[in-house]
Amino acid sequence: MAQYSITAGITGTPPEQWPETSHAQRAPGLAQLVMFLHPRCPCSRATLGELEQLMAHCQGKFGAQVWFIQPEGMDEDWAKTDLWHAATAIPGVQVNVDLHGEEAGRFQAATSGLTLLYDAGGLLVFHGGITLARGHSGDNPGRDAIESLLKQKSSHVTSSPVFGCALAGEKLQTECTACQP
Amino acid sequence: MIAQWLAGIAAALWISPKTWIGDSSQVHIHVWAAILLGGALSGFPVWLARSHPGQALTRHVIAVAQVLTSALLIHLTGGRIETHFHIFGSLAFLAFYRDWRVLATATIVVAGDHLIRDLYWPQSVFGVLTASSWRWVEHAGWVLFEDVILFVAIRKMLQEMSEIALRRATLEGSHVEIERQVVERTAELNKTQAELLETSRLAGMAEVATSVLHNVGNVLNSVGVSAELATSKVHEFRTGSLKNVAELLQQNSADLPAFLATDPRGKMLPDYLLKLAVHLAEPQQAILQEMEMLKKNIDHIKEIVAMQQRYARGTGVVEVISVADLVEDSIRINTASFTRHEVNVDREIAQVPPLKTDRHKVMQILVNLLSNAKHALDQSEGDRRMTVRVSQNQEGMLEIAVIDNGTGIAPENLSRIFSHGFTTKKLGHGFGLHSGALAAKELGGTLKAHSDGPGLGATFTLTLPLEN
Repeated sequence: MAQYSITAGITGTPPEQWPETSHAQRAPGLAQLVMFLHPRCPCSRATLGELEQLMAHCQGKFGAQVWFIQPEGMDEDWAKTDLWHAATAIPGVQVNVDLHGEEAGRFQAATSGLTLLYDAGGLLVFHGGITLARGHSGDNPGRDAIESLLKQKSSHVTSSPVFGCALAGEKLQTECTACQP
Repeated sequence: MIAQWLAGIAAALWISPKTWIGDSSQVHIHVWAAILLGGALSGFPVWLARSHPGQALTRHVIAVAQVLTSALLIHLTGGRIETHFHIFGSLAFLAFYRDWRVLATATIVVAGDHLIRDLYWPQSVFGVLTASSWRWVEHAGWVLFEDVILFVAIRKMLQEMSEIALRRATLEGSHVEIERQVVERTAELNKTQAELLETSRLAGMAEVATSVLHNVGNVLNSVGVSAELATSKVHEFRTGSLKNVAELLQQNSADLPAFLATDPRGKMLPDYLLKLAVHLAEPQQAILQEMEMLKKNIDHIKEIVAMQQRYARGTGVVEVISVADLVEDSIRINTASFTRHEVNVDREIAQVPPLKTDRHKVMQILVNLLSNAKHALDQSEGDRRMTVRVSQNQEGMLEIAVIDNGTGIAPENLSRIFSHGFTTKKLGHGFGLHSGALAAKELGGTLKAHSDGPGLGATFTLTLPLEN
């Protein structure tokens, strides 16, 4: 069980620049946080908890959007779980459904909880998870790094392991595994 | 602990029922952990508690299992700070053992867990990759903080329990002593009651004996009068005249016919002897009458004594007796006394079945009632009347009522007239009615008194069961 808790998912290699093909909206002149979640991943509740803290600590310093994956063959209700509602309840967070995981594909996201931070210029400054283990809330290097970056402080951490369920089936998993450095 | 186990399973099913890969899922490992690991952590101590209750080992195993359950629950809830309160709740739960060593075991497990993880895997417990090597002390310190409070509470609780136990032991000791004293006093009371009953029985017998002696005394008085009369009559005999005649005859014995024919004294002698004979016959008759009276009175005495002896054979013998005969005998014992005190006795004897009872006890009661009635009539003027009434009441009980028109009883005395030692007689002892009431109770009956007040007479009613 301990091993399971600390086994990270695939972080992947997200694009260094904000992808032009993305349907995700980016507010001009503001850093943008993009998070991908599996709507039924139990571990991701802790991730949302950490996001809530980030929103509270760095209010107005960045735009935040959460994408809930909706695999092929599943309807929208499948995606709108209590985790969805928890996300919509966080002030300032834009919540979207990622139909068939297309957006996740653009950002190379394979694991629920993957959090990407792009600066105002659209440059990737952080990618990874914001929990320390699967489903475990509490202080963690990912959240600390994002907070530091948003507060214009330097951070030597630019990536962290991501803990959560796989966002999509084997195809995307394989693609993203292959993408890993 | 079983409840905790079920709660852990419920938490796992609610928080993390499944793990997902896209649209496919499987049961989350937390569910299996909650079922299997939680089952082991709860099952073993529960088994120990059932198979080895009260043993120190059981307590310590429960302590270890309880804090490990806390760790499991914390893990299942994603390390929520709130779930850490389970540790403190568990310590309070373990404090119910009132054994500081159990708390010490739990504390060592918690501190040991934090120490080991601090050294080898700090992020699993403190959420950071590198923690101070003394941070486990901070966490264990909070547990110790609660321990100190609980130790003080346990110490206080044990002191109070000890005091309560001591008080209870003292109280139980007092109860035992009181019970012992009650048993002792009851035995003394029973002994005293038995002695009192015996005294009352003897007093009753004395009462009968007193009546007998009183009546014998009355008859002896008549005997004395008769003897005195006879003596005075004997003194009236003219034995001197007879002697003179004899001497005259002796002096003239040589020629007695000539003396009787020629001597003037001789000629008067036959008439003189005739007159003397007539004179002697009168006291002789009186003496004979007195002797007859004397004989009659002596027979009366013999009869009274014989009757007393018949009734004094001892108590406890149950016989079938005629109520009328019993009443008549009771009256007869007192007859001389009644005659002397000019008491008229009326009898109203109804036909009642034979009575199966202790003859002596009933006799004792009746003699006492008749004697009391006679005393009550002593001070009355005019017609001194006593009625002895025998009847059967509506309940089928025999009733013997002794009714007099004597001095009566004041209302305040009615309630205590049967009390031991209570008497209104100058020379009374207060035994008679008391022993009579006790005897009536022994026979399954009652003895009751009624009076309309002073000067209005009294009625004493002895009620007895006819089928004793």
